[in-house]
Formats: sequence, C-alpha cells, structure tokens
Amino acid sequence: MEDLLSYLHFVVLPQMIDALIIGAALALVALGLTMIFGLLEVINLAHGDLYMLGGYAAFALLGWGTGYWGALILVPLLIGLVGWGLEEVGIRPLLARADRATVTLLLTFGVSLMLRDVAQVVWGTDTHAVAAPFSGITGFAQVFVPTYRLFVLGVSLAAIVATWWLIYRTRIGAVLRATAVDPSMVASFGIPIRWVYGFTFIYGCGLAGLAGVLLSPIYAVFPTMGHDFLVLAFAVVIVGGMGSIIGAVVAALFLAQVQGLASLWIPPVWAETLVYCVMLLVLVLRPSGLFHRIGEA
Amino acid sequence: MLQTNIPNIGAKPRPKAPARSGIGLRLQQAMQSGQSDPRQLRWVGLVMLAVAAVFPLFGGSFFIRLAIEALLLGTVALSVDILLGYAGLLSLGQAAYFGLAAYISALMYLHVTQSFWLVSLVVVTIVGVFSLVIGAVAIRAKGVYFALITFGTAEILSKIAHNTRAIGGSDGLIGIPVPQIPVLPGLRLDLSNNLVFYYFVLTALVLIYLGTRRVLDTGFGSVLRAIRDNSDRVPYLGYNPFWYKLIGYVMAAQIAAFGGLIYPLLRGFVAPHLFGFEISTKAVVVSLVGGIGTLLGPLVGSVIITFLESVIGSYTERHLFVLGAIFVVFVMFLPDGLLGLARRLAVRRRARP
Repeated sequence: MEDLLSYLHFVVLPQMIDALIIGAALALVALGLTMIFGLLEVINLAHGDLYMLGGYAAFALLGWGTGYWGALILVPLLIGLVGWGLEEVGIRPLLARADRATVTLLLTFGVSLMLRDVAQVVWGTDTHAVAAPFSGITGFAQVFVPTYRLFVLGVSLAAIVATWWLIYRTRIGAVLRATAVDPSMVASFGIPIRWVYGFTFIYGCGLAGLAGVLLSPIYAVFPTMGHDFLVLAFAVVIVGGMGSIIGAVVAALFLAQVQGLASLWIPPVWAETLVYCVMLLVLVLRPSGLFHRIGEA
Repeated sequence: MLQTNIPNIGAKPRPKAPARSGIGLRLQQAMQSGQSDPRQLRWVGLVMLAVAAVFPLFGGSFFIRLAIEALLLGTVALSVDILLGYAGLLSLGQAAYFGLAAYISALMYLHVTQSFWLVSLVVVTIVGVFSLVIGAVAIRAKGVYFALITFGTAEILSKIAHNTRAIGGSDGLIGIPVPQIPVLPGLRLDLSNNLVFYYFVLTALVLIYLGTRRVLDTGFGSVLRAIRDNSDRVPYLGYNPFWYKLIGYVMAAQIAAFGGLIYPLLRGFVAPHLFGFEISTKAVVVSLVGGIGTLLGPLVGSVIITFLESVIGSYTERHLFVLGAIFVVFVMFLPDGLLGLARRLAVRRRARP
C-alpha cells in the first residue's frame, strides 16, 4: 500500500502534471485549427508549420535582442500576420469554388511543404535551443516541476480562458458564432465577412505562434516540429469535434493525459499509436466528435 | 470559371449559397466526369506507350532506373486518382500501402522465401485485410475526416517503422536480394537486368492501367462517379455508397501496394520514409499535375515530376519547396491539370473558325 501511494505520488503525479502542461499548449494549437474549420470549413494543414515558425521566430527574435518577453508578445502577432497573408492570398480566392474543402486542403498542404523548406533554408536542419526566461524549480508536497513549465501552463490557461471569453462573452464572439452558422445572414447585417475571416485566421494562427514560443525552451526548435505536432493536434480536433471550441480544450487535456500516462508503461511511439486508436474509436462511435460545433446549440 | 475535376469532399453546403449548379452545368459535368474524351486519352496513352517502349534504347542505365521509379510512383498516383477522381475521396496517406507492401516484401525476401509469387500473395492478403479495416473506419467518417484519417494512418505506420528495432528502425532494411520471377515454364525474368526490370514494370503497369480502366467503365465505376457527384441521392437508387467506396478503396490500396512490392527489388533497401508523407504528397501532386479523374494523367504527371525532380535535384536540395510550389500553382490556377489544359486548348482550337 505504501509502495503504491509513493508510486502514485512520485511517478504518476509528476507525469500527469507534465501531461497537463503539454495538453494546455496543445489546446492552443487545436483551438486555432478548430476555429478556422468552424468558420471557413478550411482544414489548415499548414497550422503545424505556423507553430514551427513561431518557435523559429522566438529563436530569431531572441538573437536580435528583444528578450524573451518581447518575443512572447511579438511572435503571436507575426505569426498571425503570416496566417492573414495565407488567408488573403491563398484561401480567399478559393472559397467561392464548389470544391473548396478539397482545394483549400491541398493548398494548405502545399504551403506547409514550402514553409518547412523555407525554415530549413533559413535556419538549417539542426536543432536550436531557446533559453528559458527563468530557471529554477518549484516544489510542492515533494513534487518538483521546473518553474518555467508552470509559467507555460499559466499562460496557456490564460489564453484558453481569454479565447473562451472572446467567443462566448463579447460582441466579436457573437459575430464569429453567427458567421459559423450563416455567413450570408451576417453579411446582410452589414458586417464585412472578409474581416471576420481575416480575424479568425489572425487569431487562430496567433495562438499557434504563441504555443511555438511557449514550448520552444522546452523542446527546442527544429524544422519538422510542426509536422510532428500536427498529427496530434488533428487527433485532438477530431475527438473534440471539428469546429468545437470546448471540445478542442477538453480533448487536448484528455489526450495529453492518455499519451503521458501510457508512456509510463509502454514505449512512447506506442503511446502515440494509442492516442491515434482513441481517435479511431471516437470516429467509429461518434463520427462528428464529442462536442458540438461553434455556433451550434 | 474553370471547370474542375476535383470533387468536393463534403463541405456542408452553405445556406443560401449562390446557385452555381444549373442543370446544364450538371449535365456537362456528368458527361465529362472521369474520362474527358476517351479518344483523345487513347491517343495520349498510345503516344506515351510508344515513347516508353523505345525509351531504354536512348537512356542510360541511370535513366532506366529513374524511369522505373517514376512508374512505381505512378502506381501510388493511380491509386490516389481512383479514390479522388472516381470515388471523391482525398487520401493523403496512400504511401501507407506502398510502405506496408515494401516492408512485407523486404522482410519476406530476407527471412522467408525467394519466391516472387508467394511474396505477392502474402502482400495482397495483408494489404487487403489492412485496407478493409482502415477503409471501413475512414469511409464511415466521411468528407474531410477521410483525408485526416488516411494521413494519420500513414504517419503512425511510419513512426512505428522508425522506432522498431526489429525491422531496422530508422535505418530500414538493407541487402534485399533480387529474385528471379518464373513467368511461364522455362521462362524466368532476371530482374538484375535493368532492361528486363524496366519492361516487366512497364508491362505490369499497362495491365494495371487497362484493368482499372475496364473496371471503372463498368456499372461499378458509374456508381462510384454518381457517389462522387451526389452521395446523398445514390442511396435512393438502391445502391449503398459505403460498399462501393470500400471496394474502390481496397482496389486502390492494392495498386499502390504493387509499387511497394517491386520497390525493394529496385533499390535493395526499405526505410521508414516509404510510408511517409513525402510519397503520399508526391502522389497527390503528381495526380493534380497530370489531371485528376483521367487515370492517365497521374502516370503522365509521375513521369514529368520524377524527371523534373532529378533535374532540380542536381541544382538544389529543395525538393519540398518545389513540390509545394507546384502544388499551390496547380490548385489555384490549373485545377484540371495538364491533360485538362491540353483538352481546353484543343477545344478552343476546334471552336475557332
């Protein structure tokens, strides 16, 4: 009994805390994906690479001397602008086409390949370390967590709450939710839909950029980091329900726990496979995901 | 507006969307669907076949092997086209079957048997079962989910292969022997001879192409196309779309698996990247470049892209960027591919007085 308790305390609990932190950051990436799908019905396969660009932008800005705090503010804005450019130039012209779901998926896929290669040209294939703004370890009840990770958790949760507040408690959010249901009705009230779409992309991609900055001191940055994260983010969005805000958060926290706890007992690569099997299971039982779409209900 | 052959994979129709589907347009689409103009296609096909048949006389062994690689990529592209052009399913993970077949075939040649036919049998069986299971889940999930599931499946397989020591991990498997293939009593194909290898793959691909064309010209193909164009109405005609899509999916998987079956014999090794997104992506790019829904287009595209890459590769390392750029340009400006462009040019010329 003693053994079990100390096992839970010293092995399982730290792993769960770690998974909570990863889950919160994962939720940021998933939120952007799900918002963009909910409003535009565009699956942004370049989203993982925007997260990657966020990491590299942090690395570059730190090199230019903005400091970590400067990067934390600037990177989401920069990545948001990149996302806006993608929407303006690439996706907007395709939205009117009848086959927009397919063509935008293909387009963002192509963009994702290009971004990854651009990152390799500019920064090389090596892994770059990004310095955390503070070191140190916080301990509570004999469980020790690097202080920076707690900071990541705090910022991620704050961003999640802010997003919820924005969407469900403000006028902008009301417009977003209405657009998800019926864009032409929103347009007939005199609200320019292209700005709504632009805002969605800026905000969603900005969140991916934020996740990139936050996680870069933990995982370092490398060209394929976005690609690796994307599969996980899509599992999250599928389990939570494509286009669901609450679903993205809940599923991110849940799947991160599944992966974190499973990798205690099985090799990490099988833990990832397990997450994927959970996704398949949800697809079989509830093909539209666990939660309702933005704007519905 | 451009007439595209890329089917919509299930975006929810927007309420009050501007009407862009008059009966005339519908009819036009239905007539064009799948095969543009069979006669033109046949000419393109025959010319290509003639070029392919005499090609080894002029190309050195490097180019012959490159051509074999193009033909093998063509199998994956063909399978993408069957799914996208006929069933309206966008698969971003067709390399899963290419890689699966390649690994099975490599493992069997290394440890079990040298018999090509036995290996083929095992590959067909395993790929069949695997594609039935994945296909059943992916097709039930519909629309954009299909693309994501196929993408994810290939990614996971690639990761498993990457991290499993027993099958070589990230290094893959090397030193795969090249078998002799007994075709008829007294006639054995020696694949270590480049020319024999080339004509063997070419013949097989032509047979696969003709077979696919034949199958898709039957009622089965018509039902698939009907599902692609309007999957909500097909059930009212008494067809269950699920089974037709599933059969199409398994068929496509087997064709991609043929490429995988041969690949280890060409290169002598297999590695986790065979499952990876790069081959899946290339297959989609190649179909897009050639023209989706033509069956011939993907083969044309595959030859063009493979040789283009080889040329680019001698100048720059940046394959991905070039692939991505080609992708973007074709999606935005030439959605009906090179064959579609050729057709439009031909139509315009004929219309001129």
